[in-house]
Amino acid sequence: MRAWFAFLPVMLAIQPVFAANEDTDLDLIPQAAQTAPVAAPAATPGQRNYLEDALSFSIPRQTLAVPFPPPQPASWEDRLFLDSRDEWRLGDGLTVTYSGRFNLRAENDIPFPSHETVRNELREAYVSWQPAAGLWLDLGRINVKSGVAAGYNPTDFFRTRAVVEPLTVDPGVLREDRLGTLMALGQYVWAGGSITAAFAPRVTLPTALYTNLNLPSFDPMLDRTNAADRMLLKASATVADGLSPELLLYHQGNQTEIGTNLTVGIGQSAIGYIEWAGGVQNGLIDEALRYGRQTGSIPTRAPAPLPFDADRMFRNDLSVGLSYTTATKITFNLEYHYHQAGLSPQDWNNWFTAASRLGRIPGVDAALWFIRAYAQDQQQPISRHTGFVRADWTNAFVTNLELTALASVDLQDGSGVAQATADYFLSRVWTVGGLASFTFGGRRSDFGSLPQSAGVLVRLVRYL
Amino acid sequence: MFRAWFAAVLLLAGTLPAAAQTPREIIAAADRVRNPGQPFRTTNTLTEYVGGKQKDQDQIVVYAKEDPATHQFRNVVRYVEPPRDAGKIALLDGKSLWFYDPASKASVRISPQQRLIGQASIGDVLTVNFVVDYAGTLLGNETISDAERQKRDCWHLDMKAVSDTATYDRVEYWIEHDSFHPIKAKFYADSGRLMKILYYRGYQERLGALRPSEAVIIDAVDSTLVTTISFGDLRFQDVPETWFQRDTLPRLRAE
Repeated sequence: MRAWFAFLPVMLAIQPVFAANEDTDLDLIPQAAQTAPVAAPAATPGQRNYLEDALSFSIPRQTLAVPFPPPQPASWEDRLFLDSRDEWRLGDGLTVTYSGRFNLRAENDIPFPSHETVRNELREAYVSWQPAAGLWLDLGRINVKSGVAAGYNPTDFFRTRAVVEPLTVDPGVLREDRLGTLMALGQYVWAGGSITAAFAPRVTLPTALYTNLNLPSFDPMLDRTNAADRMLLKASATVADGLSPELLLYHQGNQTEIGTNLTVGIGQSAIGYIEWAGGVQNGLIDEALRYGRQTGSIPTRAPAPLPFDADRMFRNDLSVGLSYTTATKITFNLEYHYHQAGLSPQDWNNWFTAASRLGRIPGVDAALWFIRAYAQDQQQPISRHTGFVRADWTNAFVTNLELTALASVDLQDGSGVAQATADYFLSRVWTVGGLASFTFGGRRSDFGSLPQSAGVLVRLVRYL
Repeated sequence: MFRAWFAAVLLLAGTLPAAAQTPREIIAAADRVRNPGQPFRTTNTLTEYVGGKQKDQDQIVVYAKEDPATHQFRNVVRYVEPPRDAGKIALLDGKSLWFYDPASKASVRISPQQRLIGQASIGDVLTVNFVVDYAGTLLGNETISDAERQKRDCWHLDMKAVSDTATYDRVEYWIEHDSFHPIKAKFYADSGRLMKILYYRGYQERLGALRPSEAVIIDAVDSTLVTTISFGDLRFQDVPETWFQRDTLPRLRAE
């Protein structure tokens, strides 16, 4: 009997613990979650179509260091558009893809209704054939995107002239509405990497830069994307776990560039990335003036409005950055952009003093602003050193509210543009949102000299 | 005296697990309960509750395949619902996590902590073997209630992340004796903050074993936020190796 009691403390010590405190967590599960939820209808696979109305207002800067040539930016615009992305499988490895946007627009400077009211953007239309596992052949208008950075992609060689009429300065959103390039593309993917080759033929001549008043209605604008023979070869390979660099070789006209992308994971919350491209090329001012003369935007015999580096030499483009997600689920991107062909502080000084040097010669202001418009059309920074920061917060403060803020700063003069965006998902098919942006900086600075000082936009989206 | 001694031994035997297991073996067995041994796909429905009311619903299709070298799963996640997210794809291949948006045709590398779908981090919805990402310590035996408030005798383990791809720095894990069914988990950030509480429930016969058909995730930061994940349409499916290359993401078609 006494032996029995000797064992009792031992038995009690190894009894399982009744974790009553752990059970209090069960009280946090709502009653509604105890039964099967109400199921939502599934979206049609291969389709993403939505209708959006965007109303925007622009606040002009009262005085400009360099007068802006006509046409002036619109003070308000309303745009109603149908955005469509569809794909169809035809069998035998064949797929057809279409992506486009049909716009109805009204602006203070466009008669309504008129030819300018309707505009259709054919972004993509191509056939894809998969003859074997991992091998694809594509033919048609294709949007080929390269690069790993958020703010500026030096290796995204097909970005030039592809953005038609932006509603935002957010580079991520700009990529959603850009024209593809007519091309033939082949891609082979295997377990350890991939290789892609693309050829885009020249089918038309280069044209002048578009303004908001002369955008064509149904013209596919191949002059934007296929005004020169273009070739791209890119390859990526997994060299280590989590490390798969990409190398690119691009040729257009008489210009060849090489590039590379690399990303690396840093712990559970951060990603580091670097994107570089380089090649023998002219400086931005030289290139812009050449293009202006070639397309008739600048008189052939007109003198250059400012001095520039005429050397054709190897120039670099770099985008290096870090993304970090906080415990509160805000994702930050911080980047530095280097565009060696861009304007230096001395170039900017020359830009602002051109009129005083040359006198009020007609066309000088137009030529000066053409240089800037050319850089924007090419989706390049205009200055050599730029900083970029972006923050994205899903379910900010309340569920279904997404907030995004970004700023791009010219590190040479401290001027910049800032934008804040809010989108609220009213339901699975309705979204309402808005954005506000403003430029800041001295009167004789990069962003402080722009004709638009601020802008607001409200939008309503219905997914179909 | 002998009868007393014998009765004590029987009583002791009833309180001990059927067989002594190392923490690693316990976690690996629980992984086999959650994850089939062959490549598979599952259609997961994530339902969000705010303040006790159903608010949103997202649907994703997950394709998972174990890497024979690392024994960790590689995942391709395709968004199906809501329409604004339809067609987006996330890829986990070893240490790399990529996100593809068909709207911009851009593939962006993201961290496991990045939130992409409602309250859940992308790491919450991926198929993973905990035994690869975490090193466990057995804290003891506990009896806790499962999501249906049934008492379960469990091993209580403390798991510390040993891999950069682990979404959380530390996990507390309750696994039922003998069946190795995961019952509950608590997920902690590297700051030590409790982030999520998860219950597995709805065990059903699926692909050759009793597996949970649902998970309930309670946001420990804001406990009014609860997400349920229903693991539907679970079936074996071969997943080509090329699917785990980021350059394939624009090519993946809905099935």
